[in-house]
Amino acid sequence: MTGIGVGLLLHTQTGTGHLLQTGIGAGLLLQLGLGALAVVSALLAAPSLRSRAGGILCTLIAVTGFATGLAALLGATGGLLIPIALPMDPLLLAPDRLGGLFMLIVSGVGILVSLYSMGSTRGPDASRTAWVAMPVFLVGMQLVPAATDSVSFLLAWEIMTLGSTVLLLADHASRATVASAGIWYSAMSQLSFFFILAGFAVLAAASGGTSFTNLQAIEPGSWAANVAFVLFLLGFGGKAELVPLHVWVPRVLPEAPSHVSAAMSGAMVKIGVYGGLLVCVRLLPDGPAWWGIAIMLVGGASALYGILQASVSSDLKVLLAYSTTENMGLVFLGLGASMLLRGYDAQAAADAALVAALLLAVSHAAFKSTLFLGAGAIIHATGERNLDRLGGLGARMPVTAAAFGIASLGAAAIPITSGFVAEWMLLQSLIHGGRLDGAVVSVAASVAMPLAVAVIALTAGLALLTFVKAYGIAFLARPRSSAAADAREVSPLMQLALVLGALFVLALGLLPGPVAALVAHTVSPSPTAAVQAVGLGGVSLPGIGAVLDPIMLVILSALVAIPVIVSIIVSARRHPHRTIDLPWGGGGSRARPRMQYTATSYAEPLVRVFDDVLKPSRDVQVTHVAESRYLVERVQVEQRVSDVFETRLYRPVLNLFQRYGIVVRHVANGSIHRYLSYSFVALLIVLIVVSL
Amino acid sequence: MFETFYPQLIGLCTGALLLTSALMVWRHSLLASIRLLALQGMALAALVAVIGIAEGEPELVLVSLLILSVKGVGLPWVLAHQSKASIKQIQESPRLNPTAALLAVTLLTILSYVVVSRVFGLGDTTTGHAAPIGLAMVLIGFLLLISRRRARSQLIGFLLLDNGIATLAFLTSGGVPILLEFAVSLDVLLVVLILHVFAGRMRTKFGGTAVDQLRELHD
Repeated sequence: MTGIGVGLLLHTQTGTGHLLQTGIGAGLLLQLGLGALAVVSALLAAPSLRSRAGGILCTLIAVTGFATGLAALLGATGGLLIPIALPMDPLLLAPDRLGGLFMLIVSGVGILVSLYSMGSTRGPDASRTAWVAMPVFLVGMQLVPAATDSVSFLLAWEIMTLGSTVLLLADHASRATVASAGIWYSAMSQLSFFFILAGFAVLAAASGGTSFTNLQAIEPGSWAANVAFVLFLLGFGGKAELVPLHVWVPRVLPEAPSHVSAAMSGAMVKIGVYGGLLVCVRLLPDGPAWWGIAIMLVGGASALYGILQASVSSDLKVLLAYSTTENMGLVFLGLGASMLLRGYDAQAAADAALVAALLLAVSHAAFKSTLFLGAGAIIHATGERNLDRLGGLGARMPVTAAAFGIASLGAAAIPITSGFVAEWMLLQSLIHGGRLDGAVVSVAASVAMPLAVAVIALTAGLALLTFVKAYGIAFLARPRSSAAADAREVSPLMQLALVLGALFVLALGLLPGPVAALVAHTVSPSPTAAVQAVGLGGVSLPGIGAVLDPIMLVILSALVAIPVIVSIIVSARRHPHRTIDLPWGGGGSRARPRMQYTATSYAEPLVRVFDDVLKPSRDVQVTHVAESRYLVERVQVEQRVSDVFETRLYRPVLNLFQRYGIVVRHVANGSIHRYLSYSFVALLIVLIVVSL
Repeated sequence: MFETFYPQLIGLCTGALLLTSALMVWRHSLLASIRLLALQGMALAALVAVIGIAEGEPELVLVSLLILSVKGVGLPWVLAHQSKASIKQIQESPRLNPTAALLAVTLLTILSYVVVSRVFGLGDTTTGHAAPIGLAMVLIGFLLLISRRRARSQLIGFLLLDNGIATLAFLTSGGVPILLEFAVSLDVLLVVLILHVFAGRMRTKFGGTAVDQLRELHD
């Protein structure tokens, strides 16, 4: 793998003196082997077989990763040791419980994406390059959480980034925007990588080793730890799409093929979250209070800004991309809250917030990959991703509509879906976190917690609006274009991936107890005190006295609703239904698709309210009838909402660099004499300096 | 008998090396530069032979023969391998006028004496005292490289630099192992052959070998 590896060894940890299982090591080795096989098969297989072979092998890679991750999550130990000749700690891939959880998330999304891509890829998406990059991307993502030293972590990280960059560029020949997205993505992901590398370098210099056990020895309050924390926050925050490092998201996720956007948003972004947790929970736990506050600020700002942009976007994939920023913001808000609360010894609330953040990551993986795959199905069927030109797809694509609908409920955090459980738990921990046994824990917490609650409330409201818009405009009402009118349901494999994703969303929402209890084991020293499974898969937070049992709630509400529904149906039968053709239509049926709400008009009040933040630019073109200027022939309204961070922060910096680049061009003008003079002068300066 | 002449012989050889270097900067004619280069190669060979006899190492005498054949005869012959009539007409118009160039040579020689004495110490051996000459030749070669316009004149600067490195090696540590010296000499010969062919191609293609007119190639 590295060229310097002497051989691969199945590693057994003998911490307690006796041999433990090595199933994890075999699983990791199998993933690597399958990855190599998939690359070879993509290179050699005939074009007609390529997608099928690639899809099956990628599914196998993901399934192996899923099994390995599950084993690690359940507490199995062991790993893969890669000896190297360099004078540093050996490369050891051995996921702990937290790593196992993220391996599970990533490979779960990988299964969906592989199944879907087997059915969906065609043209440039199914090229040899794309199918070589896919297993590389999947294996890279699955190995990052398994790494237990900074070198193998960075190595797997770069493999992941490389694979995703190649996949993103699949459509570069047909659309010019893909190339620009590729440049943004490469620049931003290398920036992230640089920050992470610098962070590990600072820690390694302070601790004298590269393995995580060595890095853990650093005092969290020390100067090195503080510097590394800031670097890691910038690096992992960039990968997790946090403001203001999110600018690549609205460009890259819409331009990538849909299954790739699903993998990026559902899985790769979680690796950024894993990085955050790695730093704040495993490497440098119990950091100073300002760390928690900084993460809460960044998370809260991302959540608000992300959902605000998503709510006014009329491009389906841009909407989903910004919504990812929102969700990751909430995850980091939970992480920051737990760090802050742990600093003030409010252990129960801190554990609940952390578990909530993890549950949110799990549920986001489920619903966002389903949503992106659903968006892919829409694009596959209509060729459109502009909501203003969709509509009426519910009747034409029922399976996609159902799956997208359930995932939308999850994204809007509506009960019986996974999103609701996570946000409920986060709110519980924030509301109860400010007080410990009735006394206020600290001023900072008592200010931060209500603010965070307000942020979540506003976010939840806007998310509801956003996904009502996304689902309603795309699937309900009448088609707004002929492409939408002619849409057909997608192939069975793509439907299978969508249905599986939707079932995940429901299962996580209906049976949160076992999942939450399992997740609590990954981070909490006393998991049963923090989270317990109660009732029919319900979840209980003993530390702060809150219980949620979704199945009981469903049964309860069914008991109330069924009599009401029955009585309504009975009474409706008694009065036969009269069909009236639009009472306000003056007797004629003049309702046309153009009269419906569009995504832009639906979000217009929001644009008005948040005008100062969004800075929209509107373009109204009125064409008059030739005979009279008082009569209008047609009106065209166009509204663009640009990213404030891009125009105000990135553009000036980029312009500065460009000007600097133009100046520097004179320094390196291609004259060989000038280059030789530089080295001569440098040599002379060195000689003079050493002889002084 | 030999011991009394030894310091003077070393001084004579290194003096010849420095003088030829300075003259190469001064003269603009390509033919003159090539002849000076041949002279310098012979001086270097003589220097190595003197050191070899003084140290009693027959190996070094063998090396001196090698140097004589490559640097004293081979390389100049390759460079001058063209009709005498045409090569006589090639005049360099350097980017530095002769007075300034000679002044720069003086300054570089002083600098190399300062550097060697401050950093390494001149030591008490005869060869140690002459070591700064090697460094001065390296720097002068570099000066030629940046001040000459034609590709072939730059080549001469490059060879001067290489001679400087060899001189420094022989004066400070009695030379590099013979195998290494053999390989390096062959390498240099090969590089010169390639560059020579390259310069010839440039001349037939663009009608001249003035390197500073080639900057547009970078786009």
